Amino acid sequence: MAQAALFLIFFAAPLLAHAQSPQAELRCKATGEDFVYDCIITLSRGGRPLAGAEMAVAADMPTMPMAHNVRPARARPGAKPGEYKARLDLEMLGEWTIKLRLDSPVRDLLVLHYEFDSKGATPRKR
Amino acid sequence: MDDYAIGVLTNIGLFSFVALSAYLLLIAGEMSFGQQAFFGVGAYAGGILTALYGWPLPVAAFAAMGLGALAQLLVALPTLRLRGLYFAMATLAAAEMARILFELLHWRRKVDGELAGPDGTQGFRGIRWIFEHGIEPLHYLGIVGVLLALVLALLLVVERSKLGATLRGVGEDPELAASVGVDVQRVKLAVAAAAGALAALGGVLYAHHNTYIEPRNFDIMLGVHSLAYALIGGLGTAFGPLLGVLLDIGVLESTRIFQGYRMIVFGGLVAVVLIYRPRGVLDERIVQWLRQRFS
Repeated sequence: MAQAALFLIFFAAPLLAHAQSPQAELRCKATGEDFVYDCIITLSRGGRPLAGAEMAVAADMPTMPMAHNVRPARARPGAKPGEYKARLDLEMLGEWTIKLRLDSPVRDLLVLHYEFDSKGATPRKR
Repeated sequence: MDDYAIGVLTNIGLFSFVALSAYLLLIAGEMSFGQQAFFGVGAYAGGILTALYGWPLPVAAFAAMGLGALAQLLVALPTLRLRGLYFAMATLAAAEMARILFELLHWRRKVDGELAGPDGTQGFRGIRWIFEHGIEPLHYLGIVGVLLALVLALLLVVERSKLGATLRGVGEDPELAASVGVDVQRVKLAVAAAAGALAALGGVLYAHHNTYIEPRNFDIMLGVHSLAYALIGGLGTAFGPLLGVLLDIGVLESTRIFQGYRMIVFGGLVAVVLIYRPRGVLDERIVQWLRQRFS
């Protein structure tokens, strides 16, 4: 019994969780205030909009991990199912790693890369 | 505690591991600009073991620490014969080589029908052990805090032992230490291995906190900051690097007073501290004075 429980904790649970990973996209527009952006996040899972999600939106710089502590913004439901709105208050222009910490309906952390300029954000190409 | 406070405290804890690894080498008389490489080794190794092979995080962390120690030993063996600036340059070069190796690392494997694992410059996604095991951010902060406290306790015990005195002797005057029978090279190699393991532990914790890592996470900025934290905080006690991290991340960054100018303020702070207190705020004299006052 204990062995079965251990198996579930260490091996089976990760496989189940991996099969349900959500996807995200971001559109941001500069507000006019320095480094502040209004963003729309589109969440989907298995090709369908992921509605009713609760999440915090945080940011970090890839070349300076842990050194920037941008206050996470709580996302609010947007106009369409699967869309959410959040205001990001960054510290500077440049490439930022956007972290979407989902609390429900699944717990996950989605990491996106965007280049922020004076107008808005564009996905970072490599 | 809100998300922001948890995030700041977790970052302080994670940064402290790599700052402490730089500190260990500093008290052994060596200045390393390359501890980010071993932080990266730990992050990649731990991530590969948990995400691709389903190892439990604690076991993966031990394995990653071993690999971090081995990697730092491999760098230390040819470079520890160098002194001062030359050693610093060699560690920086080694760290850049490691970062380029991370860019070349493609270790992809199918996990539940999807390819996962390090994909060169595209990074390494899906290091999800803590999410899959229901560990909340506050609990993870607790794990980071407990591990940091254990490391600190161990370092404080070592510092007050004969081994600690030998280590400081080697750092301050290696010729004198050798003349009284200390095997300087062996001591420095042991310190290098411990520093590599410590940085790797920080890396494993960082990778699992972030779920995603990429080679650019381990570039020179991380190494310079960790060294600066150890130098600002002071070389008199293992609490020194923590003070350095707290000053920068906990005060300068979190209060946002210097928004946009933080790096200038931080650079100035490093310069001022190094001019007026070359061995940091908590240097040996201050620590001795504090011990006498409170013991």
